[in-house]
Amino acid sequence: MISIIRKFIRNDLFQGCPNLIATPLNFFTPVNIIDLNISRWLEAHIDRSASLTTFSKNLVLADVCGDGEYRLVLTDLKLENNEKSRLKIYKGTVLTSDQTLPDIPSSIISFYTSNYDSKIPVIGVACGPDLLIYKNSKPYFKFVVPPLPIEALEHSVWNRLSEDPNIDLQSTLDDLSSIPYKSLSPRSQKLLGLQTPLEIKDFISKYKSSEPKKFAPITCMTTLNRSTQDKQSPACPIIATEAGQIFILDPQTFTPMHEAISCATKAIPCVLQAAGMYDVEFRIVIACREGSICLLRRGWLEGKVLIQATANIVDIVVIPGDHFIMTATTDRMLQCYTKRGNKLWNQKMNTDITCLCLIPLSHLSTSLLGVGLRGGSIQLFQGRHLVDIIVGTETPSAIAFGQLGQEEHVMVIITTGGAINFKILKRTADFNFGDGEMNSNPIQQTKPLPLPKRSKLFLEQSMRERQNAVDMHQLFQKDLIRLRLTAARATVQMQSNQSSIGNEQELVKLSAQVPLISPNLTYKIETKVQEKDALVEDNQDSLQDSKRLLRVFVVRKREAKPIVAATINMPPTDLSFLL
Amino acid sequence: MGLFQKLAFFLGIKRKEVNVLVIGLNNSGKTTVINHFKNDEEKVEKTEIVPTVGFSVEKFQNQNLAFTAFDMSGHGRYRDLWEHYYKDCHGIIFVVDSSDRLRLVVVKDELDLLLQHPDVSNRRIPILFFSNKMDCKEALSSVKIAAALGLDKIMDKPWHISASNALSGEGLQEGVEWLTQQIREYITNKNL
Ligand SMILES: Nc1nc2c(ncn2[C@@H]2O[C@H](COP(=O)(O)OP(=O)(O)OP(=O)(O)O)[C@@H](O)[C@H]2O)c(=O)[nH]1
Ligand SMILES: [Mg+2]
Repeated sequence: MISIIRKFIRNDLFQGCPNLIATPLNFFTPVNIIDLNISRWLEAHIDRSASLTTFSKNLVLADVCGDGEYRLVLTDLKLENNEKSRLKIYKGTVLTSDQTLPDIPSSIISFYTSNYDSKIPVIGVACGPDLLIYKNSKPYFKFVVPPLPIEALEHSVWNRLSEDPNIDLQSTLDDLSSIPYKSLSPRSQKLLGLQTPLEIKDFISKYKSSEPKKFAPITCMTTLNRSTQDKQSPACPIIATEAGQIFILDPQTFTPMHEAISCATKAIPCVLQAAGMYDVEFRIVIACREGSICLLRRGWLEGKVLIQATANIVDIVVIPGDHFIMTATTDRMLQCYTKRGNKLWNQKMNTDITCLCLIPLSHLSTSLLGVGLRGGSIQLFQGRHLVDIIVGTETPSAIAFGQLGQEEHVMVIITTGGAINFKILKRTADFNFGDGEMNSNPIQQTKPLPLPKRSKLFLEQSMRERQNAVDMHQLFQKDLIRLRLTAARATVQMQSNQSSIGNEQELVKLSAQVPLISPNLTYKIETKVQEKDALVEDNQDSLQDSKRLLRVFVVRKREAKPIVAATINMPPTDLSFLL
Repeated sequence: MGLFQKLAFFLGIKRKEVNVLVIGLNNSGKTTVINHFKNDEEKVEKTEIVPTVGFSVEKFQNQNLAFTAFDMSGHGRYRDLWEHYYKDCHGIIFVVDSSDRLRLVVVKDELDLLLQHPDVSNRRIPILFFSNKMDCKEALSSVKIAAALGLDKIMDKPWHISASNALSGEGLQEGVEWLTQQIREYITNKNL
C-alpha cells in the first residue's frame, strides 16, 4: 500500500505543484551531498615536530595574560617514568611557556575567579588528587581533594603499630593483607610490598606517628558559570574523582560549595559537562567509565542515571541551547539524546571516534559538533546532518575550537603522532545549512515505520485499494484541486482585506529608515498622505529607542481607531561587541 | 611629460578630494595609521584608540591632496562592509599586522576576495600595503609578508609595501607619498 501511495505522490503531486509538497517529498530524495570542493578552513600553521601527547579535555583556549590575545594552554603527557609531564602555553603558533607538572595530568580548565580582580583567568590542572591553579602562568594555589575514609581495620593496625613496640609483626601484617588491596591507603600498599624485615621496621618507624591517608585522584573537570553567563564572569571549577565524588568549588576561595556523588551505584566519572549557572539552576552531565551517563542538578546529592550506553564512552558533548547529549562510544557510534535521556538518532561511523569537540558559531547562531576519527578526518555535524569533512592524514587525539590570538574561529588539532595544526574557519563559510535541511533525509531509520497489523480489515482495505486504484486517485486529485482553489480564494480574500485596513479614504504610506548602525539607534519614520496622487502632507519623526520592536500607529485626532498600524522589527544589534 | 599631461596633472591637484579606503584585519593598526596623518588638533591620544565599530570617516591633507579616508572596522562581522566602498575609492591602504603570523592566511583570504571583486578586479587602482607593527619581536619583514600574500602575482595594479610602526610613525610618510603619487597618475589617466 505504501508503495502505491508513494507512486502517486511521485507521479502526480510532484508534477502538479512542486512547491506545495516539497517538504514531505524530501524523505525520498537521496542523501545530501557535501561539496568537498569548497574548503571552509584556512590552513594557518602545522608543526609536525611538536611531539605532543595531548588528549581530549587537556587543552583550552583562554586569555591567560588578560591582554585579549587568547593563548592555547595544553598539557603534554609523558608516560615514561623518568620524564615529567608538561604544561605548555602557545601564543599564536609559538610556544611561549613550558613548565613541568608534578604528576600525570588528567584534565585542564580555565576560569575567571572574581569580578573585581584584574580580568585574568586562571588555569586549573588536575594532577592526581590535586587541582593546581596557575595564574599569570605561575603556580598560584593548590586544592587537594578531601581524603577518603580509611578502613577501620587498617586504622586499628596502624594504631597498634604506633602504640605497641613489641607487637607481633606477622599477624598485624596478615590483618592488613586481609583487607582488599584496592581499598588500602598507598602507605599500607607499599608496606605490604616490602620484602626484608629490616625494610619493614624502618618503614613502620618512619610513618607510624601519622595517620594513613587515602585520596582519590581527579579524573575529569569542567567549569560552571556562577551567576551570569558572561564570558568573563567567575566560573566554579567542578571536579570529579575516581571514587565518584563530585565537588563544585568556589571560584574565589577554591573551597567546596557543594559535594555529591556521581550516582547511587559506584561509577567512575570520565567526562563532565555543565550548563546553566551555579546560583540559579544548572545541569551537570557525568559520563562514567561503566557506560552510564548521569545527571546532577542543583541541590542534588546524588546523580541520576539518564542513559546506559552499551559500549564504553569515548567522549560526550552537551550542545548549548537544547542541551542534547552527544555521545561517542567505542563501537563507532555517535548518538544523540535529549536532555532527559531519550535517544533521538544515532549514526555509525566508518572508523573509530577518537574525540569530540563543540564548535559554537555565534555568527551563524548555531553550534556544530566536530567528530575526530581514526585515520585523520574530522566530520562536522549540525544536529544529525553532516555539514563538512576536514580531511587529514593523522588521527586527531584532541581538538579545540575557539578564539586564539585575535582570531575567533580557530580549530586546534593535536594528532596521535604529536603534530599540532591550526585551522581558521573562513569568514565566508556558511555550511549551506539551508540546503542541508532541505535535501537530506534521515540518515538512518532508527524507528521502524508504524505499519498496521495484517488484520482482516487491513487486508480488505488493501484489496479495495488495488481494485479501485484509478477511482481513488481521481477522487484524490479532485479533492486536491478543490483544496488549492480554497487556499487561493482565501489568499485573495486576505490580501484584499489587508490593503483596505483603515485606508479606504486616505492613502497613507509609512516608511522607516535606520540611517546608521550605531548604539543609539535613531529611526526616522516618514508619513506620507496622498490624496488622488497629490502629496498633501509629509511628516518626518525621529525617535531614539533601544528596543527591538517598534509599533507605529497613525491616528486621527479624537479618533481611537488607527488609520495605519505597523510593527517594525529591528535587526539585532550585538550589544556585547558594542560595549 | 607632455603639455596635455601636465595640464591634466594640474587638474588632478585641483581636484578637491580623493577617497582612500583603509582596510585590514582588526587590531592591525588602521585607526592608528590614519591618526598619525591627522593634524594636531584632531589627533587622538594613541592610548585612546579603541576598536572601530562599523567604520569612520577621517579627513587629512598630504602633499596638497585632501584625503578622505574610510577607516573600516576589521572585525569579522564588519568585513562585508568593505566591498560597498570599493567603487568610489581612488586608492586602497591595506594594513597588515606583521606580528600576527597565525592570521596571515586570513589576510591572504581577504586580499584575494578584494582582488576578485568586480569593483576592483578590472581597475588600475593603487594598493598600498603597510607591513605594520615592525617594532614587534615576532614581526615578519615586509619581504616575507609580500611573499606570504603573493603580492608578486598582482600584475594589473600598482602596489607597494612599506614596513611601518604606526605608534612612532616610522614608514608611514614614505608609503603615503607613494600612494599620493599613484593616485595623481590614476586620476590624470582617467581624466585624459
Ligand atoms: N607595537 C605596535 N602596536 C601598534 C602599532 N600600530 C597599532 N598598534 C596597536 O595595535 C592596536 C590596534 O590598533 P587599531 O588602530 O585600533 O587597529 P585597527 O586596525 O583600527 O582595528 P579595528 O578598528 O578593530 O579594525 C592598538 O593597541 C595599537 O596601539 C605598531 O606599529 N606597533
Ligand atoms: Mg580601527
